[in-house]
Amino acid sequence: MTDTLLRPGSGMLPGGPGEGMLVEVRGEGELRTQDMNLNIGPQHPATHGVLRVVIDLDGEKIVRATPVIGYMHRGFEKLAEARDYRQIIALVNRHDWLSAFCNELGVALAVERMMELEVPDRAEWIRVLMAEWNRVLNHLMFVGSFGLELGAITPVFFAFREREDIQGLMESATGGRLHFTYTRVGGLKEDLPRGFLAASAKMTRNVRVRNSEYRDLLEGNEIFKARTRKVGILPPDVALDYGVSGPTLHATGIAEDARVTEPYCRYDKVNVHVPVGATGDSYDRFQILLARIDASLDIIDQVLDNIPPGPVNVKLPKIVKAPEGEIYVRTENPLGQGGYYLVSDGKKNPWRLKMRTPSFNNISAMSYLLKDQLLSDMIAILGSVFFVVGDVDR
Amino acid sequence: MPATLPQIGLLKGLALTLKTMLKPATTAQYPHVKPALPPRSRGVIALMEENCTVCMLCARECPDWCIYIDSHKEVVPPKDEGARARTRNVLDRFAIDFALCMYCGICIEVCPFDALFWSPEFEYSTYSIRELTHEKEQLRAWMDTVPAPPELEVGAELPKEIADGLAAARKAAEQASAAVTAAADAAPAAAKEGAGPTATAVEEDIHVEVQIDQAVFDQLIAEGKTERVARAKAKAAYVRAEKARIRAERESGQ
Repeated sequence: MTDTLLRPGSGMLPGGPGEGMLVEVRGEGELRTQDMNLNIGPQHPATHGVLRVVIDLDGEKIVRATPVIGYMHRGFEKLAEARDYRQIIALVNRHDWLSAFCNELGVALAVERMMELEVPDRAEWIRVLMAEWNRVLNHLMFVGSFGLELGAITPVFFAFREREDIQGLMESATGGRLHFTYTRVGGLKEDLPRGFLAASAKMTRNVRVRNSEYRDLLEGNEIFKARTRKVGILPPDVALDYGVSGPTLHATGIAEDARVTEPYCRYDKVNVHVPVGATGDSYDRFQILLARIDASLDIIDQVLDNIPPGPVNVKLPKIVKAPEGEIYVRTENPLGQGGYYLVSDGKKNPWRLKMRTPSFNNISAMSYLLKDQLLSDMIAILGSVFFVVGDVDR
Repeated sequence: MPATLPQIGLLKGLALTLKTMLKPATTAQYPHVKPALPPRSRGVIALMEENCTVCMLCARECPDWCIYIDSHKEVVPPKDEGARARTRNVLDRFAIDFALCMYCGICIEVCPFDALFWSPEFEYSTYSIRELTHEKEQLRAWMDTVPAPPELEVGAELPKEIADGLAAARKAAEQASAAVTAAADAAPAAAKEGAGPTATAVEEDIHVEVQIDQAVFDQLIAEGKTERVARAKAKAAYVRAEKARIRAERESGQ
């Protein structure tokens, strides 16, 4: 087929019999186009929930991106004002549903610190164990979903196989696979069942082996590297400006981890390794996920060596009342730093429970990250900034 | 020859998937094979109606207020003359709306009378959301699916009932051994007083294989007692007689 020049006014339509022709444009030499306004979401398989990103597109390039949140707002903080602390622990499982135990832990710590309650040693160690397993669960989910969004369907099945095994382990202790409601003010609900620690040790070995499988499947994959290297680079100062935390921040090179800087439970007695990345691109963020899984498994092994015998809860009054005052507790949730600001007026319901959730800040960096990126890279960036919409909106 | 093959990452990944493909599948064929759920699994809440005293703590503590309880007070006439008439709470309706239920377990935790239990039963889906409100008959039926609680992990604190019982037994044993040594040390003149404590100490060591005293059993059946009651009383009578016999033997032997 010879190339014929399609002149304006020649009556040929693109996609018609003359398709594939060169177009000669008279004028400045640049096609005048309009920016297109595109809505990604709220229903979208790649946005990890109901997140809406409104983007202005110039051809394939994103000129401006604005995340619109609030589609999953459930009024959690208002609900908390009408519930007592044990009921709040049952509810707070549900905002970052991938790391339910870590959320509960923050609320329980806030109340305990206000009441100046001495939590038994064994309970604190088991809390570290459960929190680290939850971290592994959370990161496994993102390992799988990141690959899935880029089109790699296999890793998500592998990751979910691990998740099922670990969730089965958690179910034997807490009764639930996703929403544990295992912490109580002053310790835990009940002790672990017989055989849990042995099963836990076996599981760490299995997950370590399979972690190396994810490296084979995704981390070394050339297509994956081409799609995620140098995509979505987040400089450390911008990350700090937006208040980004967790693996997204560690990828930029800053190793800020609340387990190390403000240790809670028994994190001061274990060796916490915080992997950091070099460039802050999507590939680094993914590499850090895998490294963090290994680091959490190391912590679990250390905890398994150190759990002392003893009780796991304290005798509480019939109605748990936090004394008047306020407190802010920082915890390292798997997605970043979670803050729990509790204001109490002495009653059994809090006066105000404000939660600083890590995903909220992580997606605020989205407008910076998506600027001047190609639309095809948008999914790689969305998948690599770890957030859960329930955590964003509460 | 380059140090690594080109596209080696892709090849490694493909090798892994090939290896996995050649392994047998471990899919659990669900409708034919039921999953093995741990005993603490939170499937459904079962109600032991006999234990419920309608204290309403569960309904009060539920974060969703999904437990609906109705009751009325009944006056029970006094057993003896001149005693006060007692009032009793009678449970009319106990319903849990499982469409609202968060499966948090707070109701089960607060029940002071052990009337609510977790059960791993999960196959109660319905076509209409209204049918998810289950009444006390269904909740009582689910009690049959409640498993025994698992043993606690090594190093866990024993449950209070067992710990108290063990402490009491230890204390009694210490007292008994102290009494035995006191009796041994005491002068023979005080042997009579010593015999009492030693006798009780020895009685605690007597272990009798439980059997039914046939004569007592027949007599109780003839009196019209139920078989269960007759069996229990016959066993108790046998054990009492055996212990008395052994005690007498030991005393005569001593």
